[in-house]
Amino acid sequence: MSDPKKEGEGLKGAAFSGGKSSLETVLGFLKRTLAEGCFDALLLPVKAPGGDSFPYVLVQDKALLEDRGSPLPPIMPVQGGKAVSSLTRRGKAPRKVAALMRPCEVRATIELFKLAQVDLENIFLISIDCPGVLPVKDFAADPEKGMAAFGEVLEKWGDRKVRPVCQICHRFTAPLSDDGAGMVVDLHIGLLGIEDGEVLLIPYSPAGEEILAKLDLVPAAGGDILSAWRDRANELTKKRGEERRRAQEEMKSKVRGLNNLLETFDKCINCHNCMRVCPVCYCRLCYFDSEAVKHPPDDYLRRAGDWGSIRFLPDTILFQVGRMSHMSLSCVSCGTCEDACPMDIPVAQVFSLVADEAQEYFGYLPGRSTDEPIPLATYKEEELEEVEDAPQGASSETKEKDG
Amino acid sequence: MAKFLELDKGTEAGIRELLGQSLRNGQVKAVFALRRTTNGAVNYSLITDPQMMEEAVPLFPSMPSNAGQLLSRLTLKGPVEGPVAVVVRPCELRALVELVKREQGSLEGFLFISFTCPGVYPLKASANGEIEGKQTQYWEAVKSGKVVPEIRPTCRACEHFIPYNADITISLVGNKDVDKRCILFLNTAKGAELVKGVGGKLSEGELETAELHAHREERLAEKKSLYDQGQLSGLGMDGLIEIFSRCIGCRGCRSACPICYCNLCTFDSFDYEYEPSTYEEELKKRGGVRIPPNTIFYHLGRLTHVGISCVGCGSCTDVCPVDIPLSAIFLQVGEAVQKIFDYIPGKDVEEDVPLATFEEVELTEIEE
Amino acid sequence: MEEDFMPRIIGFLCKWCTYAGADLAGVSRIQYPPSILPIRVMCSSRVDPLFVISSFLRGADAVLVAGCHPGDCHYQRGNYYTRRRYAVLRKIFEELGLEADRLRLSWISASEGRRFADVITDYTERIKKKGPNPVKKEVFL
Ligand code: SF4
Ligand code: SF4
Ligand code: SF4
Ligand code: SF4
Ligand code: SF4
Ligand code: FES
Repeated sequence: MSDPKKEGEGLKGAAFSGGKSSLETVLGFLKRTLAEGCFDALLLPVKAPGGDSFPYVLVQDKALLEDRGSPLPPIMPVQGGKAVSSLTRRGKAPRKVAALMRPCEVRATIELFKLAQVDLENIFLISIDCPGVLPVKDFAADPEKGMAAFGEVLEKWGDRKVRPVCQICHRFTAPLSDDGAGMVVDLHIGLLGIEDGEVLLIPYSPAGEEILAKLDLVPAAGGDILSAWRDRANELTKKRGEERRRAQEEMKSKVRGLNNLLETFDKCINCHNCMRVCPVCYCRLCYFDSEAVKHPPDDYLRRAGDWGSIRFLPDTILFQVGRMSHMSLSCVSCGTCEDACPMDIPVAQVFSLVADEAQEYFGYLPGRSTDEPIPLATYKEEELEEVEDAPQGASSETKEKDG
Repeated sequence: MAKFLELDKGTEAGIRELLGQSLRNGQVKAVFALRRTTNGAVNYSLITDPQMMEEAVPLFPSMPSNAGQLLSRLTLKGPVEGPVAVVVRPCELRALVELVKREQGSLEGFLFISFTCPGVYPLKASANGEIEGKQTQYWEAVKSGKVVPEIRPTCRACEHFIPYNADITISLVGNKDVDKRCILFLNTAKGAELVKGVGGKLSEGELETAELHAHREERLAEKKSLYDQGQLSGLGMDGLIEIFSRCIGCRGCRSACPICYCNLCTFDSFDYEYEPSTYEEELKKRGGVRIPPNTIFYHLGRLTHVGISCVGCGSCTDVCPVDIPLSAIFLQVGEAVQKIFDYIPGKDVEEDVPLATFEEVELTEIEE
Repeated sequence: MEEDFMPRIIGFLCKWCTYAGADLAGVSRIQYPPSILPIRVMCSSRVDPLFVISSFLRGADAVLVAGCHPGDCHYQRGNYYTRRRYAVLRKIFEELGLEADRLRLSWISASEGRRFADVITDYTERIKKKGPNPVKKEVFL
């Protein structure tokens, strides 16, 4: 595993075709990697027997991919980062596994790696251009309609039908160049701007290059397909970036301040689904489910007495804000939390808004690199003077004295 | 014959007034009931200020959480120094009793007010605000004594809609004057004590009228049709897989279930997490493994943990983002399990949970 | 086909009785099929129903829970609890149309070597007729 291309190095890509549709082509490519022994198994979404979901499956038997393998399913029932963590949290994957995921899932995987919840040693990461996913609830309610809707999403590439966070996702593809919006991945599959039936395979690591070489695929720098992909991806990135800013401004006015926050989470029933499906919330026992938040009856009664009445359970906002403080630096705006909320609270829209601000503050991008430490797991001796209640420069003076 | 008090006002207003007054004169320290917050959501609240009783909507047809779970949380570390009056539904009270049997709370210090329960709408209807528009239809059906349309399937099929263990039972189902007269059956001395001084008319009568019995028959028929619909015995492993393949593993069903009280659930514990070698074995056997694993294991296992005490409250279904009909399954399987021991969960706090006790001679037929 | 199939039966055997009974069957050279994979437990009540479900889902063709006869439990009451838990588990399997006949509860004492062999033989025959547990091929568990 190594970091994405450094500034200045041009991208290379190999075209691959063979399927009637691009997704069929992707499947064909994956089958070939299995057949040629590039990997021992694949981790990817596979259509479930009921036809109404696409769980991750570790696949060794190619037959499972026939009609079922879904490189780009219409929903994200489980965040891929969670799947990789489940596979490797107790130690490296038993054999060489290629994991195919959407970009936000890859980024979550990298964050989990930094949090020691993923072992990347036997994992080859493949990402794919992502048009967004449908809300899992809508899909479950009517899978047939969902499949049709997703067909349109693929065609138009982005559509109001996908989840709100997907509509404003500006990191839906692999790093386009040296703009800093990086992502650690071995191989990316480009679909944007390319004719149906064809895909672009872009290696982002030596391991990625090796695999292509093994399959006799020669990635070329430049070329029509690569520039078509990059142009389209660039254009969409820019557009989405603007939309993101606009949507976030609007969201801000809705959720800023305690009262607005209270209103937003008013219907929260404390089920903690949002936390449990979030890839970054990896704790086996969440603090907010632990003994620590279970108080003696007197405490509750006293609090009720202070206010005249309290919601029961209380501390809903404490949970939300607490969760933010635990994980927002690593939030990848994947939307899984919102999908799982039975009360339709725009959890991911709020969290990704806070996350963007927190990440910008520290100049940190989750999933960008495997060695860049998560800001809360590191520090600089001199930083953030603006948050301290001390005259500017005081800290360094003290240090001089101490020294 | 039982004693009941009749107040000359709408039922919900009557309750509000009774409890407001009890707070005012110090008869109770607090009230636990549904309350509408300023933003419009309806949640359970612990109310101490009599003024705030105005915001209480104790009969609102929604169950944001099973109150049994909440009251267990309130009394986990010890009983309340009450009295605290609570207004909850029969299945919520039953859930609390089951939790108390498991030492997860206490009944002490509470004054329980419950009612002949017409059922609640799915939580979804509360999430999107639909319930408000359904109130008229709801109360018309309640008056008529018919099963309310569009309430949750498990509510339709609920035969335990008359509360056990309530100090006061409010008559709702089939009460033609529910919006004009508040009828409170006083089941215990505590209950009778609470209504002293609120005026009204004391009489004697039966809560379980012929109409209520007819209503129960209707619910039983609904249950039968729910069971017939579910076709559980024909499921088999393939059927189970089909039902649960869309489970996203959020464990909402567990966190909403009042009977599941564990801090750290077995199915999240270290014990059942696959090691790489386990994946390897499973991969060899099957050619593919769903990841995360153990979806069916979790649901089957949870059935063995909660089936015996499942009160059919429907919270699990309500909270499931992908609408898996959990409570229909848990209700039916749970009932079958409970029948082995003639056990009705939550009926009697003195009765042991069947799995925590035994008889020396029983069940001889299951040994081979 | 059926001839070749030797079921794999996971046996949770109480150390004080059934496990000793199995030993006795061995030293007495009583023949029984090699289908059983014994797991020694301190008491039949140590068998969490989850062990049984897990064995079943992970692909065991059958599961046997075996302990002391009622009244003879080394810990006085363990097997009474076992019996109730097993009754519940079995009922759940039946209600969901799962193959409850791949589960079995038997009381076999330390002196019942013959009975141990008989139970294993009988159970093995039953499972042979049923064939392998199809669950072991399922991917979407
Ligand atoms: S908080 Fe929500 S959007 Fe952010 S990583 Fe977690 S699940 Fe994804
Ligand atoms: S999923 Fe929704 S209702 Fe549940 S805790 Fe999170 S925000 Fe609250
Ligand atoms: S609530 Fe639904 S999706 Fe979540 S774990 Fe339970 S069954 Fe699965
Ligand atoms: S299993 Fe479902 S219906 Fe039964 S008590 Fe738990 S939440 Fe209620
Ligand atoms: S499923 Fe079992 S272990 Fe998990 S919370 Fe419920 S009772 Fe506890
Ligand atoms: S010791 Fe044998 S069953 Fe308890």
